[in-house]
Amino acid sequence: MTKLFSIRRWMQLFGDFDQFLAGMRTTLIVALLGLLIALALGILFGVLSSVKIKILPWIARIYVEFFQNTPLVVQVFFYSFGLPFIGVRIPDLMVGILGVGLYHGAYIAEVVRSGIEAVPKGQVEAAESQGFGHIQVMGYIVLPQTLKITLPPLTNQAMNLVKNTSVLAMIAGMDIMYYAKSWAGNNGFFYQGYLSAGLLYFILCFPLTKLTAWLEQKAKQVPSQKKINNGMEADV
Amino acid sequence: MKQTTRKVSVLVLASVLLLALTGCKGKSDTVAAIQKAGVLKVGCKQDVLNFGYLNPDTNTYEGLEIDIAYEIAAELFDCSAEEAKEKVEFTGVNATTRGPLLDNGEIDVVLATFTITDDRKESWNFSTPYYTDAVGFLALKDSGITQTADLDGKVIGVSNAATTKDAVTEYLADKNISVTFKEFDTYPSIKVALSSGNIDIFSVDRGILSSYADDTTFLLEDRFAEQDYGAATKLENKELTELVDKVITDMIADGRMDTYKAKYNLN
Repeated sequence: MTKLFSIRRWMQLFGDFDQFLAGMRTTLIVALLGLLIALALGILFGVLSSVKIKILPWIARIYVEFFQNTPLVVQVFFYSFGLPFIGVRIPDLMVGILGVGLYHGAYIAEVVRSGIEAVPKGQVEAAESQGFGHIQVMGYIVLPQTLKITLPPLTNQAMNLVKNTSVLAMIAGMDIMYYAKSWAGNNGFFYQGYLSAGLLYFILCFPLTKLTAWLEQKAKQVPSQKKINNGMEADV
Repeated sequence: MKQTTRKVSVLVLASVLLLALTGCKGKSDTVAAIQKAGVLKVGCKQDVLNFGYLNPDTNTYEGLEIDIAYEIAAELFDCSAEEAKEKVEFTGVNATTRGPLLDNGEIDVVLATFTITDDRKESWNFSTPYYTDAVGFLALKDSGITQTADLDGKVIGVSNAATTKDAVTEYLADKNISVTFKEFDTYPSIKVALSSGNIDIFSVDRGILSSYADDTTFLLEDRFAEQDYGAATKLENKELTELVDKVITDMIADGRMDTYKAKYNLN
């Protein structure tokens, strides 16, 4: 207990806090760029899953199943230690970005797919009967509704993505967890090091949790009925 | 408002309880308690040949530090070192885990190529040193590195929570060579990083490096930062510290330590 409350140790932590901030910078870059890749891949493969041309949903399935059913750690180790043996070397930062990007892209693809499927089929059929093409149905009818349905699970994925960047510490990726381990280990001040790391991740994730809750609240609200003039004008 | 005060007080109470729970430990780690339990819990390396190595063929630990652990157990339980083999429970540790495991009472003694430093003496007790080693560099044969001067601008892989980083920085600063570091949790992961080219040099104590040398690698001539390995015990546990220290000084005095070192080619 004396070790947890040792003033000397906490003072040293504040003295060395620039290391943690350097880690926070890496984590932020990896999380932001990783999220961009994950969103791009997720939307692409999510939409492909619902396309009627048979081969495309298959490709999406393979991507999703492959990345969802292998651990992120294994994937990251493969990029970092496996690929160099076949002559491909990816910088650590890129390993992190690609790692969480590809991994969470698969989850986001599933979120997008289920969001598309959640829009009642009748609406699609109705639109098609009015002469809408597939892209128009998607653009005007389905995707705007999908967006609202998927936003809460999407922010949830973003939060998980932030936390999963900590896998970088295992390949010396200079993120928050790497510096926390390094600092804690070199000084022997484990309470201070790991508590600070936890706090920094919390600072990054807590706003996302709040955002998820807020979006869920918003999604529940039914839009107020638009005024229709007793259907009279429709006959004109 | 009332609601918030209540929430806060519940939180405070919960944390106090949590602290109280963790605070209760530590009473049981006196020498008498270990003797009563009949088992000495030792933290050792499992990936360092000749020091602490878990032999995959026999699934038993072997090495100099393992034999020292048996000698400590022999003194503790008043039996022969051979009989004491039954009474030691080994836990594989690395540089990051050995400190916390000792602090929280999961292990009684750490015998894991643990370098004695003044900083560390403030966190743990150390015995008389039983082995002195120096830091060295391991490089790939086809890396183009042949001498110290070639290291400028290279990436050096070191073990997390080890003294290597400081030692290398100091050694190379004198020679005006600047390098960057990457820290890893285990020696095998540093070796993989070396083989895959993610780092240029694997640096740690030479005794440890020699167990990772193979026909693709070679050890550079450099030898610096001599350091002493000691057995570590919990800071509060003075009684056990004295016993461990007595065993090690006795072993050095009567030549048993040299016999063991010879057994593992560590002279």
